[in-house]
Order: sequence, then C-alpha cells, then structure tokens
Amino acid sequence: MSVDSSRIHPPQRRVVLTAISDCPLDVRAHERAVADVRSGAVVTFSGEVRDHDGGRAVVGIEYEGHPNAAAVLAEIVAEVVPQTDAEAVAVTHRIGELAVGESAIVVAVSAAHRHEAFAACSRIVDEVKHRLPVWKRQRFADGTEEWVACP
Amino acid sequence: MQVRVRYFAGARAAAGVEEEKIDLDDAGAQTVAVLMDLLGLRHGPELTRVLAACTFLVDEIAAPPERELRDGVQVDVLPPFAGG
Repeated sequence: MSVDSSRIHPPQRRVVLTAISDCPLDVRAHERAVADVRSGAVVTFSGEVRDHDGGRAVVGIEYEGHPNAAAVLAEIVAEVVPQTDAEAVAVTHRIGELAVGESAIVVAVSAAHRHEAFAACSRIVDEVKHRLPVWKRQRFADGTEEWVACP
Repeated sequence: MQVRVRYFAGARAAAGVEEEKIDLDDAGAQTVAVLMDLLGLRHGPELTRVLAACTFLVDEIAAPPERELRDGVQVDVLPPFAGG
C-alpha cells in the first residue's frame, strides 16, 4: 500500500455485502452498493459461465455450495479487505444451475483511485476462488458432464 | 463408535451416496485417515482417487488426516474447491 498524499481520510475498508445466492446476480446493484463519495473508482468483476472449456463446448454449469459457504465467504472478505485500500466492497457468489453468460460471482470495489480498486478486486476474487467451499459441475454439449478440479 | 459422513460434489458422485453412518472399531485410535481408507474400500477406486485430493471437516472445523475421531462426530468430505 503506497501513501496517498491526496487523501483527507484513510480508506474505510467497509464490507457492505457478502452473500451466497440462488438467484441471478445484479452487477449494477453491487456497484450501487459500494458507491461512496470518497471513491474515484469502482471496479467490478463478474465471473461468467463461458461456452467452452478445455477445447469442449459447454452448455451450462451447476454450482454447489457447502452449507457453511456464506459464513466462509464473510470470513474471507473480512480478512482480506483490511489488507486493501478499498472504501467499500460487495461480493456475492451464485449457486444452482447457471446458463452460459450468467454471472457466478460478482465482486464490486470502490476506492479513491483505480489502482487500489483493481488491486483489491483482483485479490478478493483470487482468495474467494481459492478458499470458498463451492464446486461446479460443467455440462458439455455432447451430453457429458464433469466436476471441475475433481480427479 | 459411529460417525456420520457427508459427501459433497464430486465426492458424492464417486461415493454414490450423499451421506452415511459408519461404524468404527472402538479399539485403538480412529483417525480421519483410517476412516478414509475404510470409505475407499467400501466404495471403490473412483472414490479412493477423489479422497486423495479432498480436505475434511470434523464437526464443521477443518481437520488434518491425523485428527482422532470421537463417537457421534460429523465428517464432511470436500473435493478441491472450484468457485467463481
């Protein structure tokens, strides 16, 4: 974290939302949730279901969460956000059946400047992907399916 | 003693059941690792392969393979996470 001489206040590092949801995610709602007069940047990441993986055509992904997933998500974000210069953060992971193009995770971060917002957003996405007890089953166009990352 | 095992995602697919109760010999120390060996024998090589990549919760707390089990605990079998 570099010292920002333009600041009047230190970063607030507020967590405004963490959730696991079985409904379609609203990217704009996450951006509004982190809106902050001290922020000059809002960075949003939407992780979406793409139509191919490993050279094969994908038609959808089912996400499954452990019953503790919401608590673990809150814990991860509470741990990571104090290590960033974010003003506010909102994170939701979706579970259930998703079609190609739908959002599986949305992370919105506001910060005084873009570098801080990009860095915090990237860090949060990495930590969540690494530590959240959520799994996905990819369904392929040829009718087969696989649990991703499962041997 | 008896423990309750819950399988998630690919582990559930490989085991063919969502959860089950397993009886363990009361003589000697029973650990997560011993339980996993037993589950592999019970369900076959597909589950054995998946178990090698799994992490475990005992009563919802992360537990290493050497953790000793007590009667009545719940053991969750978690394949590698794949969120996002």
